[in-house]
Amino acid sequence: MVDVGSEWRTFSNDKDSKDMSRVGAAENPLFDGDTLETVMSLGTGAGALDEFGKQKYNNGPRQMSTADKALRSGYDAIRQMAGRINLSSRIINRAFSLFKQCYENKCVRGRSQDAIVATCIYIACRQEGAQRTIKEICAISTSASKKDIGRCFKQIVNSLPNSNRPESIDIKNLVPRFCNQLELRQENLIQKTAVFIAERAKEICDIQSRAPDSIAGASIYMACAAAGEKKPMKDIQVAAGVMESTIRLIYKIMLAKASELFPADFAFKCSPANLPTS
Amino acid sequence: MDYPPSFGDPNSHQNDHYASPMSLPPSATPRSASARDDTHTNTSSDNRFYRRPSVASKKSLPDMGPPSTVTSHHPNSVAPSTPFSAATPFTPRTVDTSRVQPSLQNIVSTVSLGCKLDLKRIALQARNAEYNPKRFAAVIMRIRSPRTTALIFTSGKMVCTGAKTEDDSIQAARRYARVIQKLGFPAKFLDFKIQNMVGSADVSFKIRLEALALAHESYCSYEPELFPGLIYRVIQPKIVLLIFSSGKVVLTGAKERREIHEAFELVYPILKTFRRLS
Repeated sequence: MVDVGSEWRTFSNDKDSKDMSRVGAAENPLFDGDTLETVMSLGTGAGALDEFGKQKYNNGPRQMSTADKALRSGYDAIRQMAGRINLSSRIINRAFSLFKQCYENKCVRGRSQDAIVATCIYIACRQEGAQRTIKEICAISTSASKKDIGRCFKQIVNSLPNSNRPESIDIKNLVPRFCNQLELRQENLIQKTAVFIAERAKEICDIQSRAPDSIAGASIYMACAAAGEKKPMKDIQVAAGVMESTIRLIYKIMLAKASELFPADFAFKCSPANLPTS
Repeated sequence: MDYPPSFGDPNSHQNDHYASPMSLPPSATPRSASARDDTHTNTSSDNRFYRRPSVASKKSLPDMGPPSTVTSHHPNSVAPSTPFSAATPFTPRTVDTSRVQPSLQNIVSTVSLGCKLDLKRIALQARNAEYNPKRFAAVIMRIRSPRTTALIFTSGKMVCTGAKTEDDSIQAARRYARVIQKLGFPAKFLDFKIQNMVGSADVSFKIRLEALALAHESYCSYEPELFPGLIYRVIQPKIVLLIFSSGKVVLTGAKERREIHEAFELVYPILKTFRRLS
């Protein structure tokens, strides 16, 4: 019979916690775990406090290793940026561990911290299957440009172990988010239709080399028009972050084969022949 | 014909015998006899000053100072007295010559003129020279035949870009050195080396980049958000290919012509596998 609880002895002022461990908290893998430093805690006895109740003795400047400082500032930046678009904690944690990896590999030496932080969030979103376009990440970042994030991304991905490679960007994940912003009535139907249109268009139309957010935007526009809820291209521009002229261009290409793009059981409120041309 | 200019066409640089320098006998009168390009006819006036560098000759050029050695350009160059041996190995032309071949688009080479230069004087006295020290610390000089651009630095080093063949590159570099010499500097022609060669090809069918990126994950980098082309890095020879969905391919990073051909031969079957059938 082995008791796996931790070793403990009671002292008068120890709190009555369940597992009275004297080993301290678990090591946080996110922070620098190499240093085995100890710090003095705040005094609690009568001798430690002066007449106002404040600490009498200054327990020295809190020293953090440079690694800890850098990591902490990075994590703060990530948390701040992720908070702007309400990313889930899973993504944030993944971004933390990516940031730590980058810091250890030193692969992104010389890049501004904004760019590194933005790229970590971008890769974390991708790895969790909740892809955000680079434009969206630029929007939440303070000073990173698309170019910076792109370059940083290439550097980081090269240094990741192969099994962890982020999957390529998928339109299925972009469409629901864009549709949400448009506030459609038949949202589910239009979402499914837009995804279907995008997949078919990639096969039969000549748009393979277009950016995925542009294809998503044009597919949504076509789906909305066919379902009767025609949204102006300006709205789609705001929702998808794609320029109106780009959407129009891709839409025109897709319009040529419009009848083949829709699912077989689609109820047309507006037949393919009558779809608007602009 | 949808194939690029064929063998006998005077304007083609592909399928040229001098692909491998060793394959030409040193005694053959090279360029003036070939019907290959027109640029050579324009240069007859310059023949008085120097003989066009034929493959294996190390003749000193009359008007240049001490005899110049072009050592790194032809690592296997044979002394003029050695007869051409039929057993000299050279890269065999592919048996299937009806297939598409990459054609060279740009060659970047460097040479050291061996003396410090006064860029201001060069910019003032030479024709077709621009010098903007606040923007870039070199003189940018251009000549019309072969159509090239050179960056000339204070240290005497020079970068020559824009030539379409190796011979054009070295000829152009010599022209620039001549110009500098005429301006009064003791210019020599040391360590000519081709640093980069860029080629392009068209496989004439559309390519499924997504599928190719999935299949060859470790070699490919495909980010449609960042760049519409797929970046394929071949390990041996160390070449980078930009593959576009239209079927056009750009190859770069080669130090020798055969590397481009080798890389293309390696990649062509892969591209055929991912041909878009529609």
